[in-house]
Amino acid sequence: MDGHLRDRFDEAVAGDPGLAPGALARAAMAEGGRIRRRRTGLTAAGAAVLVVAAGGLAVANLPRDAGPPPVTIAAAMLPAPASSCSVEPVEEGATDLAVFLGTAATERQRAAVEAAVHGDTRIGAVVFESRQSAHQRFVSLWADNPELVAAIDASQFPDSFRLRLVAAEQDAAVRARLAAMPGVEQIIGHRCPVDAPVGGLW
Amino acid sequence: MTDTSTAAPAAWSRARRRAKEARDEEFTAFVEAAGTRLRRSAYLMCRDWHLAQDLTQHTLAKMYAAWDRVRTKASVEAYSRRVLMNVVFDQQSRRSGSEIVLADLPDRAGGEPAGAPELRVTLVDALARLDVRDRAVLVLRHAEDHSVETVASILGLSVSAVKMRNARALERLRTLLGDEFRQLCG
Repeated sequence: MDGHLRDRFDEAVAGDPGLAPGALARAAMAEGGRIRRRRTGLTAAGAAVLVVAAGGLAVANLPRDAGPPPVTIAAAMLPAPASSCSVEPVEEGATDLAVFLGTAATERQRAAVEAAVHGDTRIGAVVFESRQSAHQRFVSLWADNPELVAAIDASQFPDSFRLRLVAAEQDAAVRARLAAMPGVEQIIGHRCPVDAPVGGLW
Repeated sequence: MTDTSTAAPAAWSRARRRAKEARDEEFTAFVEAAGTRLRRSAYLMCRDWHLAQDLTQHTLAKMYAAWDRVRTKASVEAYSRRVLMNVVFDQQSRRSGSEIVLADLPDRAGGEPAGAPELRVTLVDALARLDVRDRAVLVLRHAEDHSVETVASILGLSVSAVKMRNARALERLRTLLGDEFRQLCG
């Protein structure tokens, strides 16, 4: 049975237009080199965390002299998923969550979320990322882009809690609970292996 | 941060260049060995050769970016499938509306005669109608001939979950593809 099935799969790829492996390798190395340089910058900045553009943040195009590729503030503040995690956020079945508070969240709201995540047995690990440290990492990461750094200060970054769930099946329930709490602005989930940074973001 | 690269002695720079050359050579050898199979699996997952090439390139780029760590893994091939499937799942969730294109394909019940050849549902079309993780199980298990255990570890699923998905997906293929496939699958 498997033999026949295997033949069917082979037939299905018979239309392969082909591609020189050397060209594929070169293209991958060029793209991979860019990822690598970016990540090295992140590591040098202290496992920098880029922070999501919270609610009301204006998306402004930087002056053109910033050079290609054009960078928007929102894009620069977007969280970079850790390399071993899913590239794009997932809506369900996440192993790791990043819970961003609104920039207007009060200390009382922050403390309530903190108590909730520490007291929840479905959450295996918690790391708090303050807006100050998020901003510092942003400044280090974009040190070569002074217009971008000047355009944004720490108050525009949100605090966030980075969580690792005990089981991905509990993602929806945990998200629903935290999303309902006052002060929580956005929750981003990723699928990550156990050796990824907690929360799935750099 | 001080930029040490400008002050680096020439010897250090040469050693670094040699290390990069060795890395590139090893990586290129891996792509030559695995690239075609990877691209074909990407095609079976997405039904589009151009997209398959992009997904494969992106997969390989991620591996190259971490090559010093990746190369030490017990099975770089299996690891490459895990990265590919993650890239595919991400692409899928980003374009989750795209499957609607196939919504008007009829489910062919057992006794129905096959339609005209151009109306026949191909294997790749049928695969596209499956849950993306079920599709991944079929591609890894049957197109690539990996063991159930390997498929489970690639996809981060339990062995029983892989078996369950495999059985469910094969049953769905039988429904979609009709008698011809039924005979093949027994």
